[in-house]
Amino acid sequence: MLTKEERERYERQILIPGFGEAGQEKLKKARVFIAGAGGLGSPVAIYLAAAGVGMLRIVDHDRVELSNLNRQILHWDENIGGSKTDSAAAKLKKINPYVKIEALAETITEESAPRLAAGFDVIVDAMDNLPTRYLLNRTAIEKKIPFIHGAVYGFEGRAMTIIPGQTACLNCIYHGAIPPREKFPVIGVTPAVIGCIQATEVIKYIVGIGELLTNRLLVYDGLKTTFTELEVSKDPNCKHCGRQPGK
Amino acid sequence: MSIEIKVPTLLYPFTKNQPTAEVAGNTVGECLQHLVEKFPALKTLLFDYQGALNHLIHVFINQVSAHPDPLTRPVKDGDKILLTMVIGGG
Repeated sequence: MLTKEERERYERQILIPGFGEAGQEKLKKARVFIAGAGGLGSPVAIYLAAAGVGMLRIVDHDRVELSNLNRQILHWDENIGGSKTDSAAAKLKKINPYVKIEALAETITEESAPRLAAGFDVIVDAMDNLPTRYLLNRTAIEKKIPFIHGAVYGFEGRAMTIIPGQTACLNCIYHGAIPPREKFPVIGVTPAVIGCIQATEVIKYIVGIGELLTNRLLVYDGLKTTFTELEVSKDPNCKHCGRQPGK
Repeated sequence: MSIEIKVPTLLYPFTKNQPTAEVAGNTVGECLQHLVEKFPALKTLLFDYQGALNHLIHVFINQVSAHPDPLTRPVKDGDKILLTMVIGGG
C-alpha cells in the first residue's frame, strides 16, 4: 500500500495511463542492482530513486576523482577522495528518503557477482569496462535476472535490454577476447542520455508497461543527434546464453 | 552497384574522418575489401591475420544483424552496411 505522502510524491507518474497506483506499488517492492556509481550509474540511480524504486543496491569500488566530475553527477567537489558509494548514498537519500539505498564499496568479481545479484529483480550495467560488463551479462543469464546494458564513448552511446532465455545478450553481439579496461573519452551528456534510457527500461520492466528494448541495439550519436535501432537476434551458439553455455 | 558503409566512430581516424564510404561488391566481404582498398589503414582493424573479421566488430545490413558469417552475406545495390565496434565506457 502506498502512503498518503507517497501518493502525492508520485502523483504525476501515477497519472500515466497503464501506470497507476498498481505500477507505483510494483516499483516500491522492486529491488534493483546498479553496477557502478559513475557516469551511467549516476543518472540511473537518481531517476530510479526519484521514481520510487523500493531498494537500490549500488556497487562501486572507486573513490571520487576530479576527472570524474564532468559526468558523474552524483559526486561533487566536496566528495573528492571519498568513496563513490558514500557520496552516492548521501545524495540519493536526499533525493528520496522513501527509497532504501544499499551502497557497497566493493569490486565486482567472478566470486562476488552471483552474491551481489542474488535476490534482485533487475541488474543495471553501469560499468566503465568491458570485462565486468561481460561478467555481469553471464551472471544475469545464469540467475535469470533482466540485464539493462548501457555503454558510452565520446558522444556515442549504446543501450539494450536483455531478458535471459528470451532475447539476445551482450555476448550474442560481441564475443571473443575482451579488451582490458582503458581510459575512454566521454562528455557528461552522453551517459546522461544513455543512463536515462536504462532507467526507463528498468521502470517499464518493473511496472510491466510499454515495449522493452530487446533484440534491438540502440545506438545514440550525439554529434548528429540520431538514434539508430539495430536488429539483433539470439545466437544459438552464444557461450553465455546459447544451447551449451560455457562451451 | 553502390553500397554505403558506415564505419564506427572509433575508426574515423583511419577513414580521414569520413563516417561513410561508397563501395562495390556482391557480398559484405567484398565490400569490406573495397573499403580497405580505399583506406588501407583499416585492414588490421577490420580483419585478423587470418583474414577473419575482427570479433569486436558487428555487421548490420540495412540495420539488421548480418551474423553469423557476415562476410559471406550477399548485398545489393542501395544496401547500407553499418559496422559497430564494442564500446565499454560508463
